[in-house]
Amino acid sequence: MSTRDFTERDIHLALDGELPDDERQPYEAWLAGNPVMQARAARFADDMDRLCRQVAPVVGEPVPERLAATVGDGRAAPPPRAAAAWRLAALAAVLLAGIALGYLAGASGWMSVEPQAVRLADGAIAAHNIYSAEKLHVVEVGADQKDHLVGWLSKRLGMNLVAPDLGAQGYALLGGRLLPAGDENAAQFMYEDGAGNRISLYIARNTGTRDTGFRFAREGATRAVFWLEPGYGCAIAGSASDAALTGLADSAYRQILGGKS
Amino acid sequence: MDDRRKAILDAIPELRRYARALLRDRDASDDLVQDCLERALSRMDNWRTGDNPRKWLLTIMHRIFLDQLRREKRRGEKAMLPLEDHEAMAVHAETSDGAASRDIVEALQAISPERRAAILIVSVEGFSYAEAASILGVPAGTLMSRIARGREELRALIEDGVRRRSIRMVEP
Repeated sequence: MSTRDFTERDIHLALDGELPDDERQPYEAWLAGNPVMQARAARFADDMDRLCRQVAPVVGEPVPERLAATVGDGRAAPPPRAAAAWRLAALAAVLLAGIALGYLAGASGWMSVEPQAVRLADGAIAAHNIYSAEKLHVVEVGADQKDHLVGWLSKRLGMNLVAPDLGAQGYALLGGRLLPAGDENAAQFMYEDGAGNRISLYIARNTGTRDTGFRFAREGATRAVFWLEPGYGCAIAGSASDAALTGLADSAYRQILGGKS
Repeated sequence: MDDRRKAILDAIPELRRYARALLRDRDASDDLVQDCLERALSRMDNWRTGDNPRKWLLTIMHRIFLDQLRREKRRGEKAMLPLEDHEAMAVHAETSDGAASRDIVEALQAISPERRAAILIVSVEGFSYAEAASILGVPAGTLMSRIARGREELRALIEDGVRRRSIRMVEP
């Protein structure tokens, strides 16, 4: 049994799986009695964990043709079988890496990521998690003052908002609130179904110019379907299924566009 | 296609992950992967059967990377971000989205390329110290100290960035 003194160096050995088996337990005991080192070890581990998660999605990207062709048999493109295997491998990697927003942020490489998309999904999910759990203060202005709510939020966002009617999907409006979204403003409309399940519609101003189709993000149990329009983005967040959220998003999308025309 | 070409092809996604984390720029990192593939194909005979293809390819890539660093240094280009540059990086982190989650890749670019490579080979690519030392062509002790110092440096950069952000927040 090793009885040597441990140092900070051992934190790295332990983190990298390089600590001999018989030193593992004494190391843990040393760490348990040393809060400062314990905190350092946790921070290093967390840093490396974040690093791995951030770079992981690159593996799921389609391999650029020029790289595959370099390895091909001198032909312009790699043989079809290899290409098919690639797509399978890439798909599997995407599925593995597609956790939470990591996939979203990494889908196009973290350098070319659309900042608006990440901010939108992140903001919608965070706001949903905070306010949907509220019993007394779930909204700032209730649905009983719907006209006032919509007028106020429209003014603060500088755009004509509508609070979509999602009754056909079984959700009734509870009300809404104003939220910060970076340097801009965002609005959240909260809805509830007969069983008390809540979903929220989040609308945030941004400086983006492109529009997108529906995209998906997930963080823990909360899912979001979101889309970007020039100047703003919308997201439906909740713990319902992707299909249910997409149905809600589709209805909200039509009503928001209709309200603006 | 023979087995060896297939094995190289299969390694490309992970080679791209490593190169991207190393250089961050998408085109530059794919260029590095391409250089690596070309050199590997011209030296297939050096590949001992049974050798992990990824390890063999990363060894080649690291040599090319070091050559590039030397050339850039000679030309007087910035082969690496000087430490002061994390000033600009911190500003970027504030204005960009998901700042908290991208901080580490940003900070990684501000530490020396040798430490960056050591951390990535071990922590992301999952090689043992012995394998990593062989890929990077340094003694195990050097590798260890690069990893330890690199991680401390990253921590300091991140904490500094956080401190700057919080200072910014209380300003009127």
